[in-house]
Amino acid sequence: MPQVLLHHHFPITTVNLRPSSFLTLKPTPQIHLRSEPTRAATIKCMANPRRVAMVAKQIRRELSDMLLTDKVLQYAVLPEAALGADRYLSSVTTISDVEVSADLQVVKVYVSVFGDERGKEIALAGLKSKAKYIRSMLGKRMKLRLTPQIRFIEDESLERGSRVIAILDKIKAEKSIAADEDEEESEFSDSPQDDRDWEDDDPDEDIIYVK
Amino acid sequence: PKVGSRRNGRSGARKSARRIPKGVIHVQASFNNTIVTVTDVRGRVISWSSAGTCGFRGTRRGTPFAAQTAAGNAIRAVVDQGMQRAEVMIKGPGLGRDGALRAIRRSGILFRFVRDVTPMPHNGCRPPKKRRV
Repeated sequence: MPQVLLHHHFPITTVNLRPSSFLTLKPTPQIHLRSEPTRAATIKCMANPRRVAMVAKQIRRELSDMLLTDKVLQYAVLPEAALGADRYLSSVTTISDVEVSADLQVVKVYVSVFGDERGKEIALAGLKSKAKYIRSMLGKRMKLRLTPQIRFIEDESLERGSRVIAILDKIKAEKSIAADEDEEESEFSDSPQDDRDWEDDDPDEDIIYVK
Repeated sequence: PKVGSRRNGRSGARKSARRIPKGVIHVQASFNNTIVTVTDVRGRVISWSSAGTCGFRGTRRGTPFAAQTAAGNAIRAVVDQGMQRAEVMIKGPGLGRDGALRAIRRSGILFRFVRDVTPMPHNGCRPPKKRRV
């Protein structure tokens, strides 16, 4: 069985590099084939992590600049701009984070959209449809050996953080109202405060689990 | 010019007692910092706050949480003056755009329009050289 498969696959090295059950059956030929320099598959080289961070930062700058300046991208994200909405926006798209893989081949862009549900879908769909265009523009702007593949992911962390802060503010407001009422009773000042602190901890734990 | 400065000096005393129902919030969001300025419709500054003045230093100034606190601080000073409606003008890339917008919505001020006023040259000054990575 393994021999038949080896005949069918042209890049022999790739078959052996993938972890599969065939590796255990034929140990010796794999060592020979791995030493071959010729590879038909993609070149894999791990870059310096500092350089990866720098590339990520530069990609973030370029993408944000493109979102602000490039007409094509703006029309993709906000179709109303094509009609001449003249900077009165219904949704604001921001690139919150860029993660680059260690070999600089895949870039995950986390996009956060402020606006209603429909605006979010339109913005993300527009960006995904222009992924190839963005990749070519990035290649023109940045000097990289291989322009990476770009994937857009929706980032909800900002929204979640905002919700958490809103809930915390509400609790603080309720606590201050309760504190104002309890200020009149000075004898019981210690224990109600302790109870309130314990009560405050529980809602915080609930918030962490609610996603 | 001297007459104008005297007039501004007198209006400074009046500014603190003014009630403004409508105003404009400018958010300048750069990669390293966010500045939130609240002005009236004509453009005269009422109060401002930034991520740096809120106590964050260094890389934490650029985070969206810092932008949220800066926006909250700037608006708290103005809500006492009775501002209900506002227009938001956003300038620049950066995470402060999103964070400040969410903080403004959370604070309860009705904002009618969000405008993007990033300065765009019609191909004027030469931009700084490309960063080599």
